[in-house]
Amino acid sequence: MKLRATLGYTAAALTVLAALLTPFLLMGLFSKGFVALGFHVDEMYSGGPKVRAIPMGAYSIDVHRPVYPHMLQNEKPFVQLDWQPVSALPQHISDTVDIDGDGQPDIRVSFDVPRDPKAPLHVDVDSLNPRYEAMRNAGKEKYSRLIVRVDKAILVRVSLRNP
Amino acid sequence: MATDTRILTLARPAPRGILWSLFLTLPILIWSLLMFGNPNAHADRLGHIAGAITAVFMVALFFMMMRTGSTYRWRRIFFVSLGVLFPISFIHNLVVARGTMGIPIEEMIAGRTPFCFMPIPLLILPAAFTRTLVFPGSIASTSHSIAAMVGVWMALTLVLGKGWCSYACFFGGIEEGVAAVPARAKIRKLDPRLRYLPWAVLLAMVLLSLALFEPAYCMWLCPFKAVTEYVAARNLLGLVQNVIFILLFAGLVIVLPFLTKKRTQCSWFCPFGAFQSIFNKISIFEMKIDKERCKPCLLCQNACPNLSLSKESVAQGDTLMSCMKCGACVDVCPRQAIVWHIKGTEIAWKPERARLMFLYSAWAMAVMFGGSIIAQGIYTILHFIV
Repeated sequence: MKLRATLGYTAAALTVLAALLTPFLLMGLFSKGFVALGFHVDEMYSGGPKVRAIPMGAYSIDVHRPVYPHMLQNEKPFVQLDWQPVSALPQHISDTVDIDGDGQPDIRVSFDVPRDPKAPLHVDVDSLNPRYEAMRNAGKEKYSRLIVRVDKAILVRVSLRNP
Repeated sequence: MATDTRILTLARPAPRGILWSLFLTLPILIWSLLMFGNPNAHADRLGHIAGAITAVFMVALFFMMMRTGSTYRWRRIFFVSLGVLFPISFIHNLVVARGTMGIPIEEMIAGRTPFCFMPIPLLILPAAFTRTLVFPGSIASTSHSIAAMVGVWMALTLVLGKGWCSYACFFGGIEEGVAAVPARAKIRKLDPRLRYLPWAVLLAMVLLSLALFEPAYCMWLCPFKAVTEYVAARNLLGLVQNVIFILLFAGLVIVLPFLTKKRTQCSWFCPFGAFQSIFNKISIFEMKIDKERCKPCLLCQNACPNLSLSKESVAQGDTLMSCMKCGACVDVCPRQAIVWHIKGTEIAWKPERARLMFLYSAWAMAVMFGGSIIAQGIYTILHFIV
């Protein structure tokens, strides 16, 4: 009983010590440990890693790796394209894009670039390759089908047809 | 009646002297100065004033805990202040940054959704199976990042166990405040089986989060979306989500606490609270009932805001694993049969020592985490006034 009590008090004293160390050591240690586990944010949100950039003169189009939904996620597979920097974009964009890098255009993307960063965006996508879905006047209905402005880029997500 | 008289003869010990109470408060005073005395912590004069007010507030409450020997009512003042001031500063920051409480899809894509602790249990299975975090935030880049909150949660859980729900949770104070308003509960008979509901919600939300690959509780059921931020309603589905948030908040956080004088959201619904109960098993501090002293009047069961005592548990000398260590039962017991306890030690042997060791740990965390949120809330209010 005495040993158990000694162990109990030792653990209680260590808890007080842990409390004192929390802001200076423990919080940072646990945060770094969590980062070191190597998790990544779901690509449905982040858009997946960038695989290449297509130079378009003053601006460029970043092409991301296609993102496929997990389990019962209520989204279609999509590919994200970033037009950037916004400051270098003309007032109207109408670009054909070779997404898969095979030398053949896959889609034609058209949208206006309003100067007001809070103005709503709408995009038309013509499908030149049956793998990609066409869009008409799309805004930001779903993660897999949208156009939004994020910081210095305009992001367009084009849905892929289910294989 | 005779039993009541006998109980009342076991009066609470006299309050501590002022000097001795001040001496016991000294470590918290030093800690508060460390936390709020940093001139670089706030950029402007209002920040210094808010920090000073918070430090005085937290030290004064701890002093009263030492002076009166009572824990619950002083902790409740802190906790309700935390619950009220958190939404004030949070909503203000959102409106300044975005102009709305609704989080637009571009903010989620940019990974700028602030991460609170509620989705932590929901992330585990998707992360374990696919190394993916199903939350539209950033992992490590900001103070509101997933890693920052996970770090805070792990450290505080190590210290507090389920005490998180009484000393750190920035939501529970709202319902605790509402529950404190009526003098008597309008609804007294509560089905004890309801206390299993949070486990059912936890299980359902964890499985649903894995299946849908989204933080299902945040998307559909979190009552506190009504006073923080919510997914901006882009369509009918979004509208339905927001109506659910508001109804759950009104029912579980306002109406039911008022009628029952219990923290009903925490007791009957909160999946994070159920998850946190698991960590009570590793916490060294607990509540114990001295069965020799206890004449089961069940005042403790009535006083517990979280339904963490039952007739059976009292008979066994224990609280249930959902005990939040708020101290309500200890304060209300007329025979001082419920005591703060350190595992491994004899029950009721120097319980004040156990209380002090727990309170030093818990209040240090409360000052550091809750105190900084209170300071931000005060800063926001001062900003409006001045």
